[in-house]
Amino acid sequence: MDWIRQFGRYAIVMLLQVLLFNQLQLFGVCHPYIYVLCLLMMPLTLSQHADMVIGAAAGLVMDTFCNTLGVHTAACILIMFIRPYMVGTLVNDKDRLNEQLTSRTMGMEAMIKYVVIMVLIHHFTVFMLAAWSWAHIGFVLTETAVSSVLTIGIILGYNILTDK
Amino acid sequence: MQNLWKILLRYSNFLVFVILEVAAFLLLVHNNTAPRSAVTSTANQFVAWQYERCSEVADYFSLRSVNEQLAAENAELRSRLAVTEQQPEIQYTPAKVVQMTTDQPHNYLTIDRGARDGVQLGQGVRNEDGVVGIVRTVGQRYSVVIPIINTRTNLSCRFLKNDYIGTLQWDGKDSRFARLTDVASHMVVNTGDTIVTSGLSPVFPEGIPVGIVESSILKEGDSYHTIRVRLYTNFRRLKYVEVIGNSAQNEMEELHHGLD
Repeated sequence: MDWIRQFGRYAIVMLLQVLLFNQLQLFGVCHPYIYVLCLLMMPLTLSQHADMVIGAAAGLVMDTFCNTLGVHTAACILIMFIRPYMVGTLVNDKDRLNEQLTSRTMGMEAMIKYVVIMVLIHHFTVFMLAAWSWAHIGFVLTETAVSSVLTIGIILGYNILTDK
Repeated sequence: MQNLWKILLRYSNFLVFVILEVAAFLLLVHNNTAPRSAVTSTANQFVAWQYERCSEVADYFSLRSVNEQLAAENAELRSRLAVTEQQPEIQYTPAKVVQMTTDQPHNYLTIDRGARDGVQLGQGVRNEDGVVGIVRTVGQRYSVVIPIINTRTNLSCRFLKNDYIGTLQWDGKDSRFARLTDVASHMVVNTGDTIVTSGLSPVFPEGIPVGIVESSILKEGDSYHTIRVRLYTNFRRLKYVEVIGNSAQNEMEELHHGLD
């Protein structure tokens, strides 16, 4: 049952991502990828292999919508690979981690750190791979900073609104 | 052998990670060089259909400006009729832009015409103002076009006034401007000079408007001008385009291949 809800949320978030957030045109530097919300909050109950395959699938779907085959796929596999290690270092009380990852199950401080680090890694990877050259590194960093702020804000906001 | 299995099992997470990432990078590199598949791009029927529904809603908010645009286009077409009659091998297929980005280094647009409507890989796309781009992926009902505002596009152009040839490239920043390169320093370039397609490649017929020279810099000792071109096509408001079907294109391409 829980997985059906996870998938339902993914479908809605992807719709918002594609129809709303992909259309944002703020000086060309603001491309928030809020769909990582679903990957970041997924429970840690599956094996890491399964997690990475799910990440690859989610990335591939996003790539299809953005004409950027491989870019989101690579970034999502990466964050799904480091996710368990990140949670392992940030969370001391691991008893409640068989549910989905929220501020309630992880603790507020750990959740904020987790979301900030993971979103920064994901966005930087995406923009770097899309630019495909070190020549635009300054622009890529600006893009990462601006877009990440929005994505992090939305993920944490969603977390606070839904998690009572 | 048993030890090998143990080691593989122990590091299986990392191994799977590496295998998946390698696969993703292969896709990425392949996609950067060769034409992409219609399934994993916005030429995908489901994906394009979604964008189409979305743009249908958005269209209601721009009905007035689209009306004006169509009226202007009608007028322009009538005046062009005479020219077209002299080039019977060229047909225009009207298409609607379903999705487009203008603020990425690699922009693409999706149009609602595909193989079913006779669109072929490598055909040119224009609108009433000027050049738009080249068809890169053809799906059954939709196609993806790589516009001139994509850093991977090179377009052969010439000056209208004296037929001097240059190459148009985009720097990835502003969708209104592009750069014209390969124009030697002995050429006199004035602000306001008109740039049109050269007709050297079979993709675009000769003389489709591209833009006008916005500024031109020639530093001491440079052998080429640095020319900034203001593009005629307004990519931010692109709604309707025409795919250029050139029945001479296949023949020209065969000839080119024969030379290689």
